[in-house]
Amino acid sequence: MLPPVARRIQTTIRLKDCYLCRQEIRWASGGAPPWRPAAILDEWVQREARPISLRQLTFFGRTLTEYRLLSSANYVRTELPTRLAHRLRDMQTLPYVVVTNPHMSHVYELYYKAFETLRRVREIKTVDDNDRYCNIITETLQEHLTVIPKLTMGIIECQSLMKPEETNRFMNTLLRSRISRRVIAEQHLALTETFHSPWHFPDAKQPQDPSSDFVGDVFLKCNAKEVVEECSQRARTLAREAFGSACRMPEVNLQGHLNATFPYILSHLQYIVGELLRNSIEAVVERWRHLPGHPAPVDVLICEAPQHVIIRISDQGGGIPKDILPSLWSFGKGPRSHIHLENLVRVPKMAATMQELRAFPTSAGGIAADANDWRRPVDGSLSSLTYRPPDLRLGMGLPMSRVYAEYWAGSLELHSLEGYGVDAFLTISKLGNKNEQLSTRASMDAV
Amino acid sequence: MITRPATFRLRFLKVWRQKTPPRTYATLTGEPSTQTWPHQSQFGNIHDDQVARLAAKPLHPLALADLIRHGRPPLSTEALFSSANFTLSLLPIRLAHRIQALRNLPFIVVSNPHIAQIYSNYVHSLSTLLPYQERRISNLEDEIQFTEVMADLVQTHSNTIPTLARGFLECRRYISPGDVTRFLDEHLRARIGTRLIAEQHIALHLSSKPHNGGVSTPQDHDQSSYTGVIDTALRPAEIIRHCEAFVGEICELKYGVRPTLVINGQSDARMTHVPTHLEYIITELLKNAFRATVESGKEREPIEVTIAAPPEVPEAASRATDSTHLPSIPGVTIRIRDRGGGISPEVLPHIWAYSFTTFADEDVTATGNNGGGGGGGNGNVDALNAISGAGGDSSSLAGLGYGLPLGRAYAEHFGGGVQVQSLWGWGTDVYLKLRGLGKSG
Repeated sequence: MLPPVARRIQTTIRLKDCYLCRQEIRWASGGAPPWRPAAILDEWVQREARPISLRQLTFFGRTLTEYRLLSSANYVRTELPTRLAHRLRDMQTLPYVVVTNPHMSHVYELYYKAFETLRRVREIKTVDDNDRYCNIITETLQEHLTVIPKLTMGIIECQSLMKPEETNRFMNTLLRSRISRRVIAEQHLALTETFHSPWHFPDAKQPQDPSSDFVGDVFLKCNAKEVVEECSQRARTLAREAFGSACRMPEVNLQGHLNATFPYILSHLQYIVGELLRNSIEAVVERWRHLPGHPAPVDVLICEAPQHVIIRISDQGGGIPKDILPSLWSFGKGPRSHIHLENLVRVPKMAATMQELRAFPTSAGGIAADANDWRRPVDGSLSSLTYRPPDLRLGMGLPMSRVYAEYWAGSLELHSLEGYGVDAFLTISKLGNKNEQLSTRASMDAV
Repeated sequence: MITRPATFRLRFLKVWRQKTPPRTYATLTGEPSTQTWPHQSQFGNIHDDQVARLAAKPLHPLALADLIRHGRPPLSTEALFSSANFTLSLLPIRLAHRIQALRNLPFIVVSNPHIAQIYSNYVHSLSTLLPYQERRISNLEDEIQFTEVMADLVQTHSNTIPTLARGFLECRRYISPGDVTRFLDEHLRARIGTRLIAEQHIALHLSSKPHNGGVSTPQDHDQSSYTGVIDTALRPAEIIRHCEAFVGEICELKYGVRPTLVINGQSDARMTHVPTHLEYIITELLKNAFRATVESGKEREPIEVTIAAPPEVPEAASRATDSTHLPSIPGVTIRIRDRGGGISPEVLPHIWAYSFTTFADEDVTATGNNGGGGGGGNGNVDALNAISGAGGDSSSLAGLGYGLPLGRAYAEHFGGGVQVQSLWGWGTDVYLKLRGLGKSG
């Protein structure tokens, strides 16, 4: 079936635990991806993604029964291949020269393989079916850890082959879709975990009242102050490792509404706040290498309004150089992209290391410490980025952070005071507090 | 040091008073002063096709560099002629574009006495310039006459903004707020450039060798960093202190308290810019910050103004040796940070709108005498109105006139900008970016 070009096989991936798909999938990472009949993909592309409402995401777990667990499983079962099919079609419409780039074809093959695996899953009728299905999801999610660095490398290498705005649109759609798939998959894994947990009694009355800390299986009650403190601690530690213990480290001062809490996906918030604080702390450390005295502190303000929480991070790290400013929010563009490319090559190797690092859980507001077998690999792709050393500049922290912030109806703005410093404004929608907002945001993950 | 912009303006006004006969357009054109239907009576002066021909020409985008390219004062006679001819090459086209835009407004709107007056002013100004179209200015007599025409133009149009505001306020039933906003955005932005071109020539004229022989010593010129209305070594910190004193005084008069203001960052930064423009913008921004701070009872929290300047690039440093360029940085960012509680989510979407476009009927009476102030160096009058109006019934409107959009228009004129970041429940950060010698937007 495979065309001659695919004979130059460089890698073979075997799906060991996939009970439905024991065939070997071979692909040539150095050439064009193999041709496949388009009919099956066409059929899936015909289907619209069925967005899940945030209300469902947030409150599903509260009245969890076997029936609801299985219907959730079947929702995910049809939804994942549908959404993957749409992204595959997006990639197929890119120029041939782009998709034949080794990094891009790597991602394309990963997506195709996941699509082929997931679309073959038959209807889930029992809890055992569901457990096996969860294994498949977990494995797929883990295999896809390399997607973001690979994709970014591909985009940088292809930057002369596509228009910048097309590249950014493609990346934004792809990343948003990736977030949405991971969220619904993670949601289902968490539901399954809850279902199996020893304290879960399907018939018992719901012990949690709506105001409890536990907002849902996916959304956790995040405390802005705790997240900022934890992220700044981590950023300082990483910076100290990179710059040496002799470097003068700025303080991170917190002020404002320090009791602000809101439901959010903790790993997303940690990633965004972490990226911003890393940028700030590193800029200040580097600037004060040439300046006398103690470095100016990084000032963090938490401002709680009825519908939003705004986290403002102000540093005096010298601001953003003018040559970088225009490409600040672009993927794989700008004067430093060749450095980012070199650094990105190191990331896939790091993903494994960082998983080990993850084995020593930090007390992320006491929540990540409880991370269980299901959740850890799901967060893996973000945590490998979150824990990377500071000298590993990838040039995608800001655009990625903005995709995450906007995905949850928030925003991320930067104001550069060139020659002085940067103010970053992260606006978070307090989604869980308003039912109307939950329903109006229902189409959010329709990508 | 602080009073430099103020003294400059005084000197300027004094000259206008001497040189400019008060509102002479009716006699100049030989037409009766017909306030009600001036658009009819003025038609005889300019042929439609002249306006159309001029309006068809593209607008020359104005850069600060254009305005200082005739050299540093005192200008020689030749350089002065070249400034006059440069001015003459720009203004008729700019005026024709405005006339064209006014003519395209609905008849019922231009018939309004206020709008009609503005229309008439523009037609008149263009008619006074047209005689010079046919020839180059090459003798001092022509140059003096031309400068008087410039002074008349500046004077005639000094009250444009409140007049237009009142006119559109009265016409708000006949034209949508969106259309008004679009027209005003274009009009007020074009006006900034037009006035600047005229004012620059007047200033260069006054300080030129043939017209300023005995008035000031050469020493004065060596020390002055002014080229016409442009200061090539403008210190933003000085302007900020100057505006702080002014706004603070009115604030104290009105509320009995004034917040303190601290300046940090590179407070010794210098740049090339138009001091009167910067003064207007800073006054508008400080008004908002002061009022919000006092009204939310946070006057103990200082307003923090941070001046950021990029490090000097070697190229700019080498240019500093050039006689026409004093050392100055390409631009600055000024952040004004207050603890005044921020801007409510309901108001935030409208902060860039000219508020009189959406006034309800009861607001109109409340603002009856409140439309004054506005453009050029006139901003201070507006500051008074906005702050004094804050305590009355119209407090929800205070500060939401045209101060903020016009301030942004001034900043954007030479490639800068104003951005507002509200932290509702805490305070507001405003970022004012100014470009030095750059292209106009």
